[in-house]
Amino acid sequence: MRPKTLWYFGRETGYGLWRNGWMTLASVSTVAISLFVLAFFIVLSVNLNHIATTLESEVEIRVFIHQKIPRQTELNLLKQAKGWPIVRKISFFTKSQAAHQLQSEFPDQKALLQLINQSNPLFDGYDVYAHHPSQIGVIARRFRRLPIVQSVVYEGLVAKRINRVTEVVRAVGWGIEALLALATLSIISNTIRLAVFARRREIGVMKLVGATDWFIRWPFVLEGTVLGLVGAAAADVAVNYGYRWAIRAAVAAMPFWPVAPLHLVLQHTIGVTVIMGLVIGGIGSLVAVRRFLHV
Amino acid sequence: MIRLEQVDKRYPNGHLALSGVDLVIRRGEFVFIVGPSGSGKSSLVRLLYREELPTAGEVFVDQFHVTRMRRSQVPRLRRQLGVVFQDVKLLPQRTVWHNVAFAMEVVGASSRDIAKRVPQVLELVGLGRRRDSFPHQLSGGEQQRVGIARALVNNPVYLIADEPTGNLDPDTAQDIIQLFLEINRRGATVIMATHARDLVNQVKRRVLAIDHGRIVRDELKGAYHEA
Repeated sequence: MRPKTLWYFGRETGYGLWRNGWMTLASVSTVAISLFVLAFFIVLSVNLNHIATTLESEVEIRVFIHQKIPRQTELNLLKQAKGWPIVRKISFFTKSQAAHQLQSEFPDQKALLQLINQSNPLFDGYDVYAHHPSQIGVIARRFRRLPIVQSVVYEGLVAKRINRVTEVVRAVGWGIEALLALATLSIISNTIRLAVFARRREIGVMKLVGATDWFIRWPFVLEGTVLGLVGAAAADVAVNYGYRWAIRAAVAAMPFWPVAPLHLVLQHTIGVTVIMGLVIGGIGSLVAVRRFLHV
Repeated sequence: MIRLEQVDKRYPNGHLALSGVDLVIRRGEFVFIVGPSGSGKSSLVRLLYREELPTAGEVFVDQFHVTRMRRSQVPRLRRQLGVVFQDVKLLPQRTVWHNVAFAMEVVGASSRDIAKRVPQVLELVGLGRRRDSFPHQLSGGEQQRVGIARALVNNPVYLIADEPTGNLDPDTAQDIIQLFLEINRRGATVIMATHARDLVNQVKRRVLAIDHGRIVRDELKGAYHEA
């Protein structure tokens, strides 16, 4: 594209935005509100994912070792298991540490504690953490195959359910976002169509004096993308301030609740809103101009 | 050369605007298309720059097979033609200069060419001093001249005008016909649909008379008289 043509497109885009001042403001506001709603669902989705990830990281496997296995053998396995790529974290505990933990967890169970103190029936073992819940089963099977392992205990069902909920949340999130994208597309297309309608005469004359369809489309497409981009920026500013406030409120009300950090949220919302703003603005304009090009 | 072969034009409401039209216009000619209102003059003119397509028959403009060409090729055809519309079709929010320059911009002319050519055509149509006026500040005749300047600015091979003097007083109409004759002398083919009897009779050029969508008369040095 020649610089002269680019200059023409830039000038026409600016001219169009300026001349249709109120329409521009209305379009930007509509886009901003739609993208803000979209961003709201992204924030929700990011937070649900964050909670799922946090919960996933809590999932552990407890491996118990047969009685009377030498400490050195136990520590060798610890060292070996630390090198497995699917293991995120592993820590060793002795049976006396296990007894202490039991005492602290159940201080009222006097009879049980007395029994443990007389002859500790507990086992040495490991607390193992996986990178991802889907790896828990693999880790458990790997430990079970080892002769020194007495038993492996893990909350397989909980892990599976968390995994499934995360998947459902992600799918639903994308579904909602797709629907909102369609709604936004329709709104932008209609607002730009009003702007195009006001200039249909100009488009008709351009066609009759020999302008190509793309020569006519480009300024409108650029106008649409500018509207989309400014709308996205406005939505992101609102998300930024809104989420800062939400984090402060959540931390004050529920300090234990795992809230996704601001940078993680903005990383998702800025990416999606900017891309959606650009794509939807561009496509909306193309759709809007289409019917006026048949001259 | 412009050639129409057995052209029919029927509008969706059933009205038959043109029927069995055969026509050849050679380069350099000055042709009046005359006939009463509703006879099919405007329909014939619109077929030439493909604002309308015929229901049957073929239209050729130089190397362009107008009835068969792809939509993407239409701008190339239109760049060969300068069209003066019955309703002028000026852009109300742009100055005289921009209304004319705009026709060069859309075909990708350079700024230098635009700056050189636009004053020339504005001088030619006698609007050199009105370049910064807006259409609503001009008289009907001046608006028509802007339309003519826009049609001429890309040096078209064919100048097609649909009732260019329709709403003008006789003196202005006289000026415009003289302008068209000058343009024709410079080499452009001029095709003008009109029912301005006096102008046609005065100029004595080729006259195509249309009535009820049929060409009923084709005279080389004709006059305007009822069929």
